[in-house]
Amino acid sequence: MSLTLVQVIVGGLLLGAVYALFASGLTLIWGMMNVVNFAHGDFVMLAMYTAFVVWTGMGGGPAASVPIAAMLLATVGVLCYFLLVRHIMRGPMLAQILGTFGLALFLRYSAFWLFGSDFRTLPDGMLGPPFIVGGLRIDAPRLLAGGVGLIVILLLHLILTRTALGSKMLAVSEDATAAQIMGIRPEHMQAAAWALAAGATGIAGALIATFFYTSPTVGETLAIIAFVTVSLGGFGSVPGALVAGLLIGVVESLSAYLIGPVYKDVIVYILFVLVLWFRPQGLMGKA
Amino acid sequence: MTRRNLVFLLLGLLALAYPLLVWGSPVYQRLGALVLLYAIGASAWNIVGGYAGQVSIGHAVFFGVGAYSSVLAYHYLGLPPIAGMPLGILVSLLIASVIGVPTVRLAGHYFSMATIAVAELARVMTTTSDFLGGAQGLTGPTVPRTVLDLSFTSAVPYYYIFLAVLAGVLWLTWRVESSRMGFYLRAIKDNERAARSLGVAAGRYKLYAFMLSAALTSVAGGLYFAMFGFIDPDSGLGILISVKMLIMAALGGAGLLFGPLVGAAILVPLEEISNSVLGGKGAGLTFVVYGAIIMLIARFLPGGLLTLLAPLLRKKAAPGERDAA
Amino acid sequence: MRLGWFARMLALAAAGSMLSSGVMAQQTVKIGAIYPLSGNAASAGNFSKAAMELGVDIINNAHPELKDLPLAATQGLPGLNGAKIELIFADNQGTPAAGQNQALRLITEEKVVALLGAYQSGITVTASAMAERHGIPFVTPESVAANLTERGFKWFFRTTPVAGDIAKAYMEFLKERKAGGQKIDTIAIVNENTEYGTSIASVVKEEAAKNGFNVALVIPYPANATDVQPQVLQLKEKNPDVAVFVSYTSDAILYAKTMKDLDWKPAIMIADNAGFNDPSFVKTSGALVEGLINRSSFAAGKPGSLSGAINDMYKKKMGVDLDDPSGRALQGLLTLAEAINRAGSTDPAKIQAALRATDLKANQVVTGYNGVKFDEKGQNILGSSLITQMQGGAYVPVWPKDKAAGEIRLPYKGW
Repeated sequence: MSLTLVQVIVGGLLLGAVYALFASGLTLIWGMMNVVNFAHGDFVMLAMYTAFVVWTGMGGGPAASVPIAAMLLATVGVLCYFLLVRHIMRGPMLAQILGTFGLALFLRYSAFWLFGSDFRTLPDGMLGPPFIVGGLRIDAPRLLAGGVGLIVILLLHLILTRTALGSKMLAVSEDATAAQIMGIRPEHMQAAAWALAAGATGIAGALIATFFYTSPTVGETLAIIAFVTVSLGGFGSVPGALVAGLLIGVVESLSAYLIGPVYKDVIVYILFVLVLWFRPQGLMGKA
Repeated sequence: MTRRNLVFLLLGLLALAYPLLVWGSPVYQRLGALVLLYAIGASAWNIVGGYAGQVSIGHAVFFGVGAYSSVLAYHYLGLPPIAGMPLGILVSLLIASVIGVPTVRLAGHYFSMATIAVAELARVMTTTSDFLGGAQGLTGPTVPRTVLDLSFTSAVPYYYIFLAVLAGVLWLTWRVESSRMGFYLRAIKDNERAARSLGVAAGRYKLYAFMLSAALTSVAGGLYFAMFGFIDPDSGLGILISVKMLIMAALGGAGLLFGPLVGAAILVPLEEISNSVLGGKGAGLTFVVYGAIIMLIARFLPGGLLTLLAPLLRKKAAPGERDAA
Repeated sequence: MRLGWFARMLALAAAGSMLSSGVMAQQTVKIGAIYPLSGNAASAGNFSKAAMELGVDIINNAHPELKDLPLAATQGLPGLNGAKIELIFADNQGTPAAGQNQALRLITEEKVVALLGAYQSGITVTASAMAERHGIPFVTPESVAANLTERGFKWFFRTTPVAGDIAKAYMEFLKERKAGGQKIDTIAIVNENTEYGTSIASVVKEEAAKNGFNVALVIPYPANATDVQPQVLQLKEKNPDVAVFVSYTSDAILYAKTMKDLDWKPAIMIADNAGFNDPSFVKTSGALVEGLINRSSFAAGKPGSLSGAINDMYKKKMGVDLDDPSGRALQGLLTLAEAINRAGSTDPAKIQAALRATDLKANQVVTGYNGVKFDEKGQNILGSSLITQMQGGAYVPVWPKDKAAGEIRLPYKGW
């Protein structure tokens, strides 16, 4: 196997880890509360702008912007829950799509109004030179994003499956009435789910900002990827999002390299349609 | 004549007279035509999304098929674009049946994601196809050769054509709604499992609704092309088209006959007028307002705006037939 | 009493006629401009808007220091008794439908006498079709799609050079380099796959073949990419002598970064305008692409020159150098205003005739064109491009020699 091919695969894995990271928040909400958040991409966009503001305002890099973005987005998530989602959750799926779509537009164009249409980036090389491992070049921002992404996904999974909070959240998602009878406040747990998911998204955005450009409409580009990753992995499955993300990253990079960049999306979508056809619950979703 | 029928008659007359009422303003005439065009698309979507409860977010594929069939008929065969519409309908039915069969058995969100995937797949494949004009798109007749080219300067002919087509679509929807199929669809939407257990062939009827919806959406696509004279993968197959159809139907009231029309009548002028008023200053405030309004309606009127008027419009339920909530 | 009333009426009539002749002198000429002010291309659209507003200032106010530039020295349009230009902007929202709707609004409600726009070729198609139907002149200063002038339109004019001219300029430049001893055996083209990228790529490929260059690799890719590593890796493997990039801003930024990350640079790196000329790109990634060859119709040029003066004015207003698409937008407006002035009327048919007869010389335009003269299809046959190079964070014209303000520095340095 040529070195270039290995580089392509490694690049694809790192890309996929990032996809998985920002899909994890989406799958959490989707699985827990059956809410499709069309504004997810724009949450990532907000986090990216936060990273940008932290840099220009305080000169802070990811060490500062990641926690700040996580907290800010968690707050935004909780606000969205109490002001909007809580009400549309009870309604038909259409109302959810309508509501979160409106939210997406609102966030996107508020960012446009606040920051203007220019593309922004964080300075190149702010995290140091690329790592050269046996002829492979791995740039620091992507490595950081991929690595932290994996850790965050692992943490999310652990929180959901090993902690009391996680059990309560799962209980509410399975049967809110029963949970209530057991003394768990559904609304608190759902708000917690939103805080957690949005926080993870905040971390994702702040990390992505180190190597990707920021603009008000970047959410549009990223949202579709998140949706495909979540569906492929299985709604509600955080490990599924990881597997799906990595798979998509590698398939995308390999298709682009071996066949041609214009076909990479075609391959990914065909893969996606096939999986939905034969295994609609996704790779790791509940049947 | 009942009060309800009188209201409809007046509204119908108003619709017929509208272009004359705004005679001095081509912009308002065009706005009327646009409202009707989008209402056709949203009403077509409503059949499967509103009545059958299958939320498709990929209807752009049928819209695009309709538009592309028209432009291909013109570009390669020199025919008037509408000659391509029957082909568009046929291809849409084909696509709907091919993707319908495996996807209608998917529940809720899975179905929606599958439709998004199919539409996006169609879009990216079109960008790589030279035959379909690739990413550059294809243009229609620049100078109309005959009236059949449907290339008018004034928006008034478009208005009446669209009005006629919309009336046809709504009539079809009404026929389905009051037929046995409509009854089954309501049952499926309410509780599919219960419906199946009572012997309703849910898969089959969902598929029929999907196919009908697809065919009518492709008509909307063909009409769009007639009016704008240009189509490319983004304007014909972009996800925004699917979302807009859905939003208009949902805003007005999905599953209600006039819901999509109400939704279109609000959103299309809103977008155009706020673009004209705010857009020039370039701040995109149009969409901030748009987004806020959509959120408010989703929050306070999740069934759509028409639900405000539901008590006035509700037909007397047939004996023994429970009203769908 | 009667006399008093009569006197008052007389006074009113006199005032009225004075007012109306005063109004005549203060007549404004409305021009519409349809540009992307929201959506993905909003960055470029807003810079173009600023450039055109500068143009309005130049026309409406006296700027005798900009000698040779028509309408600069005077206030307003002398041919219409000093009437001022009013530029009315409309957002095309990035869709052909919105572009066409806005064109109709500008024509029928705002009653503009001419239109400019619409940046994206797909939107120029629909917007200009609306203008054609209403008999309103439509000038596009920057849309390069070939088919725009092939529609048999009578009211459509294009001031910018098109893909074919641009490709020829590149080939001339490369031939000169090769003759001077530069190794130029293989060329690679990386292009975004919408109208813009595809048309430039195919023409460059054609011209390269005609001139005996070997195009070893053509990589179309979908615009607004999230990752371009595979493309850059392919390039690194093939290692062409010349790489030509045709991208919008977001992708340009990604390419600049990725090339550094993967440590690959060709001997000659050419970027075709658009994304690489966007001030956003220059600000964020200029330091990564030192020595990048670009083509531009506008370059600030030598200090004291007309283009230099214009650049200074723009820089004072916006804080960045005037970029090429915005410079071309400005030239489009100035060309249109000059024609309206010559027509001496706001009658669209007279403006159309005046546009047909336009004959601006090289020293009368702010961009690097050889002038402005339209053929029977409405295409400016004197449009031309300069080759510029990124030197020290700004683009400097380096070719042709007579318009150069700096030396060509090869090989490409990058970061």
